[in-house]
Amino acid sequence: MQIAFIGLGIMGRPMALNLLRGGHRLSVWARRVESMQPLLAAGATGAASAGEAARGADLVISMVADAPDVAEVMRAVAGGAAPGLVAVDMSTIAPAAARRIGEELAAAGVDFVDAPVSGGEAGAVAGSLSIMAGGSEAAFARALSALQCLGQSIVHVGPSGAGQVAKAANQIVTGMGVLAVAEAMVFAAKNGVDRAKMREALLGGFASSKILENHGQRMIDRDFKPGFKSWMHAKDLDIVMQTAHELGLCLPGAAVAGQMFNAMVGCGLGEEDSVAVLKLLEALSGQS
Amino acid sequence: MNLGFIGLGAMGRPMALHLQAAGHTLHVWARNPASAADLPATVHATPTALGAACEVVFTMVTSSADVEEVALGAAGLMHGMAAGSLVVDCSTIAPAAARHIASRLGERGIDMLDAPVSGGPQGAAAATLAIMVGGTAAALARARPLLEKLGQRIVHVGPQGAGQVAKACNQIIMVAAIEAVAEALRLAGAAGVDVGKVWQALSGGAAASRVLEVMGRRMVEGDFAAGIEARLHHKDFGLALEAARQSGAPLLLAASVAQQLNALMALGLGKNDTAALLRVLETK
Repeated sequence: MQIAFIGLGIMGRPMALNLLRGGHRLSVWARRVESMQPLLAAGATGAASAGEAARGADLVISMVADAPDVAEVMRAVAGGAAPGLVAVDMSTIAPAAARRIGEELAAAGVDFVDAPVSGGEAGAVAGSLSIMAGGSEAAFARALSALQCLGQSIVHVGPSGAGQVAKAANQIVTGMGVLAVAEAMVFAAKNGVDRAKMREALLGGFASSKILENHGQRMIDRDFKPGFKSWMHAKDLDIVMQTAHELGLCLPGAAVAGQMFNAMVGCGLGEEDSVAVLKLLEALSGQS
Repeated sequence: MNLGFIGLGAMGRPMALHLQAAGHTLHVWARNPASAADLPATVHATPTALGAACEVVFTMVTSSADVEEVALGAAGLMHGMAAGSLVVDCSTIAPAAARHIASRLGERGIDMLDAPVSGGPQGAAAATLAIMVGGTAAALARARPLLEKLGQRIVHVGPQGAGQVAKACNQIIMVAAIEAVAEALRLAGAAGVDVGKVWQALSGGAAASRVLEVMGRRMVEGDFAAGIEARLHHKDFGLALEAARQSGAPLLLAASVAQQLNALMALGLGKNDTAALLRVLETK
């Protein structure tokens, strides 16, 4: 099918390439023109605006940074939309913002699906993302074949906004998970124990997880390249904590994890991967 | 002078009366007209109409959105107040919102101070509030004789928004201290020790503080009738953590206390005094 893809950053670029590989025709737009080059080289058509990219498309996919960006892109898309267009936003934004954008698009005759992802850059490149979708059954069904080029686990969680609720829950688990693995690393090191052996031992037991396996290895290798930038984890946990504030939810663990990522932004580590929370803990524990 | 006051709640009403008692002509507008009924003041139909009659207007309302509506809304102060007049906002709102409202009023030549207060309804009644001011020195010089009728400690913290930053800092220390007192007394109770005796013993030592004295007493006596409603501290913590996110300052303790306030709201205790943080800890 004809797909418009908007937002070609760390995640968006490999996702768009996977859609081309899946045999779809692609029209792309990104705010930074140079980020469109790899896609044009691979056979995509470049557009001068989000609205132009969407013209004549069966499906629009966006992968941008924050709710105001999504709203702006979707407003441009709605302007020139053909009846029956399905717009899928794969960015991570607040559930309430996703619901609001869905309502605005419905008024313009566009079906909206919120479909945030988990799996990071590696998952985007491998086409093995986990995708959490919210929206109508019909809209999800029409987007499914495209989503299958991007991920393996694709779950229709519920109505509009439900995908973002699942993603927020995912960020609670991964945020605290990264922090837990980093704490285990400084704990082992300060006790004179080899971090790699500690990781290996734990992987055989109940503390085994993808985060211990992947992020733990990157901590051992001191590989702090993003990946997933820590300022984005701070942003995602801010969405979680704002929702908790509004609903009267007590989330003490996520609150503290969020402040650790907040501290990383304040320390100038915001552009590094969230595994760099290890550096902050080392500094606070007198390790260098 | 002709003085406006908007927001006649538990804090605003005694503050307005102090200003009137100092010899000023009081003008009021109230969302709920009943709350202005028995005041020695001229009641106006809109903030715009009130603004047109006043040199200086005080506001003491709940949220950023309330101040924005009163100041910038369709019937807001900005459409009535003359260039060279002054708005003094005593509400607790987001520093970013205070700066935004001040800049919009500034376009009309209307000056603004953010002047949030600490001291509660007791402090408002006794005119002993601590007042944290953000704005120009000239605007404060103009407002100072009025603020002196409301409080004793008036500190010029910095430019517009700086008063609200100071207030956020005040709330972090105060509510975290309330949580600390609640946790200490919960520990005493859970360990089977007389909570009143523990409170009495601590009050003479290094842990003594105004929060331990006032809020500790309420906890010991099981008196959770509001001084300041906990829902307002819940709101204030949202503002403090929002400011933290914008500046990358880690607020680990405040973030944890905010979760206890979220729990307090979920338990339906928002209209109780914040001493009810003890009841959150007692929840089974």
